[in-house]
Amino acid sequence: MEKTILEHGLNLNRRRFLSRLSLGLGSAALGSLLVPDLFSGSSTENDLVTGLPDFAPKAKRIIYLFQNGAPSQLESFDYKPALRRMTGEELPDSVRMGQRLTGMTANQKAFPMVGSFCDFRQYGASGAWISDLFPYTARIVDDICIVRSMYTEAINHDPALTFFQTGAQQGNRPSMGAWLSYGLGSENKNLPAFCVLLSRGIGNGQGVYSKLWTNGFLDSIHQGVQFSNGEDPVLFINDPTGMDRAMRRRMLDNISELNNISYQEFGDAEIATRIRQYELAFRMQTAVPEVMDVSKEPDDVIRLYGPDCMVPGTFAANALLARKLSESGVRFVQLYHQGWDQHGDLPYEITKQAKDVDQASAALVIDLKRRGLLDETLVIWGGEFGRTNYSQGRLTKDNYGRDHHPRCFSIWMAGGGVKPGIVYGETDELGYNIAKDPVHVHDFHATVLHQLGLDHEKLVYKHLGRRYRLTDVAGNVVKDILA
Amino acid sequence: MWKKLESKGVQDNALFAFAVFIAFLILFEGELAIPTWLQPVGRMHAMVVHFPIVLILLAAVLEVVRFYITDESTRFYSVFTKQLLFVGALLSGVTVVMGIFLAREEGYDTQAVVAHKWAGVVVFYSAVLLFAVRDRNWFGVIHARAAAVLLVGCVLVVGHLGGSLTHGENYVWQPIATSFFSSAAAVSVDTLAFDDIVKPILESRCRSCHNPLKNKGNLLLTDSVTMARGGKTGPLFLSGNPEESLILQRIALPLDEKKHMPPSEKPQLTDEEKNILYQWVKSGAPFQRRVTTLPESDSFRLLAIQMLEKGSPSQRQFDFPPAPSETLARLNSNYRVIRPVSRNSPAVAVNVYNHSLYSSSTIEELGAIREQVVTLDLSNMPVADEDIPYIARLRNVRRLNLNFTSVTGSGLARLGALRYLEYLSIAGTSVSYTEVNHLLTSLPALKSLALWETLLTDAEIATLQRDFPHVRILGAREGEIEMIRLNSPRMANKTRVFDDSIILELIHPVRGTEIRYTIDGTEPDSVSSPLYNGRLVLARTTSVKAKAYKKDWISSEVAMLNVYRSAHEPDTAILLSRLNRVHVQKGAPTFFDHELGTFNANSPAWANNWGGVRNNPLALLLRYDVPRTIGQVSLNCLVETETGIFPPEAIEVWGGDSPDDMRLIGRKRIELPSDYQKPYIQLFDCPTDSSDVTYVKILAAPVMKFPAWHRNAGRPALLLVDEILVN
Repeated sequence: MEKTILEHGLNLNRRRFLSRLSLGLGSAALGSLLVPDLFSGSSTENDLVTGLPDFAPKAKRIIYLFQNGAPSQLESFDYKPALRRMTGEELPDSVRMGQRLTGMTANQKAFPMVGSFCDFRQYGASGAWISDLFPYTARIVDDICIVRSMYTEAINHDPALTFFQTGAQQGNRPSMGAWLSYGLGSENKNLPAFCVLLSRGIGNGQGVYSKLWTNGFLDSIHQGVQFSNGEDPVLFINDPTGMDRAMRRRMLDNISELNNISYQEFGDAEIATRIRQYELAFRMQTAVPEVMDVSKEPDDVIRLYGPDCMVPGTFAANALLARKLSESGVRFVQLYHQGWDQHGDLPYEITKQAKDVDQASAALVIDLKRRGLLDETLVIWGGEFGRTNYSQGRLTKDNYGRDHHPRCFSIWMAGGGVKPGIVYGETDELGYNIAKDPVHVHDFHATVLHQLGLDHEKLVYKHLGRRYRLTDVAGNVVKDILA
Repeated sequence: MWKKLESKGVQDNALFAFAVFIAFLILFEGELAIPTWLQPVGRMHAMVVHFPIVLILLAAVLEVVRFYITDESTRFYSVFTKQLLFVGALLSGVTVVMGIFLAREEGYDTQAVVAHKWAGVVVFYSAVLLFAVRDRNWFGVIHARAAAVLLVGCVLVVGHLGGSLTHGENYVWQPIATSFFSSAAAVSVDTLAFDDIVKPILESRCRSCHNPLKNKGNLLLTDSVTMARGGKTGPLFLSGNPEESLILQRIALPLDEKKHMPPSEKPQLTDEEKNILYQWVKSGAPFQRRVTTLPESDSFRLLAIQMLEKGSPSQRQFDFPPAPSETLARLNSNYRVIRPVSRNSPAVAVNVYNHSLYSSSTIEELGAIREQVVTLDLSNMPVADEDIPYIARLRNVRRLNLNFTSVTGSGLARLGALRYLEYLSIAGTSVSYTEVNHLLTSLPALKSLALWETLLTDAEIATLQRDFPHVRILGAREGEIEMIRLNSPRMANKTRVFDDSIILELIHPVRGTEIRYTIDGTEPDSVSSPLYNGRLVLARTTSVKAKAYKKDWISSEVAMLNVYRSAHEPDTAILLSRLNRVHVQKGAPTFFDHELGTFNANSPAWANNWGGVRNNPLALLLRYDVPRTIGQVSLNCLVETETGIFPPEAIEVWGGDSPDDMRLIGRKRIELPSDYQKPYIQLFDCPTDSSDVTYVKILAAPVMKFPAWHRNAGRPALLLVDEILVN
């Protein structure tokens, strides 16, 4: 009897459980009607970015004057009189703190410190110290923000450069310009949103590779387009001999039709991209010559940038071109000036390198300013890391070299809502470690994106099952340098 | 009858289903998409909400009372209360769902909504729980009382939070409270750093606990004196060092940390307020200082101004409606790009491209979005004065770029209608001083005006800047016209190596430059040296020195342009020795390809055109179809002592009629550098004496042991050659 009652109770409970379960499921099902894509498994994340800024941006465009090879901060923007007094003395272990060195100096028996061979002076209302190698930059000191406390994680060129351009050392990630193109779209539909210009000085150089302006896993419409300095600034966009524009148009229409058929069949987004790229290239045929034509630039402009700006392939010419591209709505103009890797013969090489870029860099800022464009254009100048405060190789009275140094280096920024006329961050008196306000590369990226109206934590792209950002999982906006 | 109503199963199930439904909604709240037809349901939240409030309050009172009624009516009370509670719980569930729907709509201050939501959810689940357990045997009078009080408390809290949402905070007390912000509507010379900026924040966020009545942590935040004194834990801040300042550390702690301030249940500081406190401490925590006396780039000053200026026309929140997306799509083209300023902003920016496709209608058509255009970029377009009225009716324009357009001063005068215009660029247009002066008086909101390459002189720009100090007037040349040095002339010839003669092509990139040159090794000057006229023929290896001249420029440095004659190019060249790994290039043809190398050849990327050997001699066999008379063989070499690239120690030339029958026809020892030198490229000659040879063998021996002065003394040097000339 007892057993029967128990059974009955259990049965009741079971029935109750099942009915409750169905009721619960029913409610959940009702609720799920209000959640789109809950069970379909697809994510709407990649649609989050619609090619528009998250908030009204300070800057609309960037011109990045990348100094490839890592210019020495100790001969440019980080004045260290104490280091000069202590030239020849051994680098104290208390300063080095066991930091790893590159294979080029790790086996060096001594690490004699060496101060700058050139003098520094104070300029402008901010009284920033700038070396005599950069007389033109010194004149615009009240328009720029010098960050002396940058640091990075990589110690060799390629990883450091890749880190600076893509936010990761390993490569295959989208580069900064590609992220911006993805996040903001193009202002001018007749030019790529991301253009790359190369030049090189006589200094010891490091190569740059197209992986630095790759779209990574983003749609390939976002990749950087390299402009070369020959007769064809953009390769393969001119009509071949014997083909007129009308014929080219017909050809593109036919190709596009075929591509459309494949697209319908396979649905590969890259096919749609290819169609868009053909169309962009067709429009570039008229837009590019218009932008590249410097023959109408007034004499005043040539004086400003220096006469080298009329010599295609020089840094000065690229700087002028950068202004023209940016003025035409190119979102991100990336310049690389190679030759800053002064392991040896630093005084001679860095003097030449500085001469290559100093006047034109300053000119670009002035040129943008007087056209009323500086406040919406962010200009960035800097390399991938700094250089050691000790000499690599033989230290003589007037010659020395400097090895790679990721722990501190200087860059400057101008315009685009960055506070003008300030110096941010400090290094210790020997110029080896950061003493105040360190800025990591991720922080730099976060700040740059912020100025363009993008929240670096929201600019994400899902790829191979995880979300990617330019700043990976780090980065803080450096608010102190924002106007 | 009561029995019937007691059909508890149905009620139980209904509440259970609701409980699951609400749990589900809360779990997936972030991903809910409320269809438009459901929105009215959400919006009825504020109306329906009053029913469960009343029902639950009433049920709670009855719940306490039911244990005291002992007569016949006990059962009635019990059942009635139960039914009341049921309806109250059910309706509160309905209200919660409605509230969740409503909260998905835009414009709700998240923090306040979250509190209200959770309070509502607590009320619903408490009511459900009470309904479920109230008939259990253990449920006695104490439980009933506690439950009732709790429920009433929750209802009051949720009601208050909801009321704040609808009517705004402090709605009830506002008439008798004073607003601290009202006195500081805009920044003036009298705005004080502490009293007008920092104190109001403390008053709204901290004073409720740190006042003379409550005085938590022995800290008063009522005025500058008590603020400077600090509390139990010590001083509140360290001037100039926000990271070390207690107040900012406490604010920055995670919300769930016990020491986080303000306590998690209290209103928190906004990011802007935190930033202002941070920057205030960083600026040295000025108390009595006037904001305007701080340096112009001081972050605190900028933030303070920003905070106080909210509400001025310059702010970027626009009150006009967005343009219909079809209109935007219709107006958008490859040459007229129209984009919202940011996501969710009604304002748009317009950029116009392609000079040849521009016409008046390009701007005229923008009339359809005249409210929405806030940025218009027409630079380098042939915009004429007739087009200005179309621009002038885009009344919300903040930023206008007319650089290098065809507009003139009379056209620009009509821009006066743009009362929000802040940034105007008219560089490269023909406007005059009086016209700009007039323009500046007619544009009230103008902040920045770019005037470069207009008719205005620098002095006039300076005058304008003095007369209109609130506008940044850009475009004056900073300093004197500078004398700049021209760059050197260049050679445009495709190659510098020739077999017979070469027409030298000298060019200069800057327009209107004169080039003067010499071919005898002397320095060119502007008087006696010949002017390059495009016809300079050279028939031997020559060093041309050229210099560029232009009025108002410093003449260029001398360019040394070498051309090399190589009269006897071999018909075949064979390499007899191994080339250095990095400097293989094209093998033997490298030395006869008319392509010269540059410095820095040590790096593989720069090694172009340099063929090199180390350890073994460079040995080449040349063959001629027709016998030649060879008078000299020259090797063009790079010398870079620092990196160990040395000239050859010796050059030997052998000649003959067959490879097996050769005799020595020339030999030259080369003088080696005796100390470190700057890198240079030099031709090393070896005179030969032969007639009619068909085979020539060239041997160049690299330095096998660096001399003693070199830092690699004893080790072998590298020899690099880019071209071999046979004459």
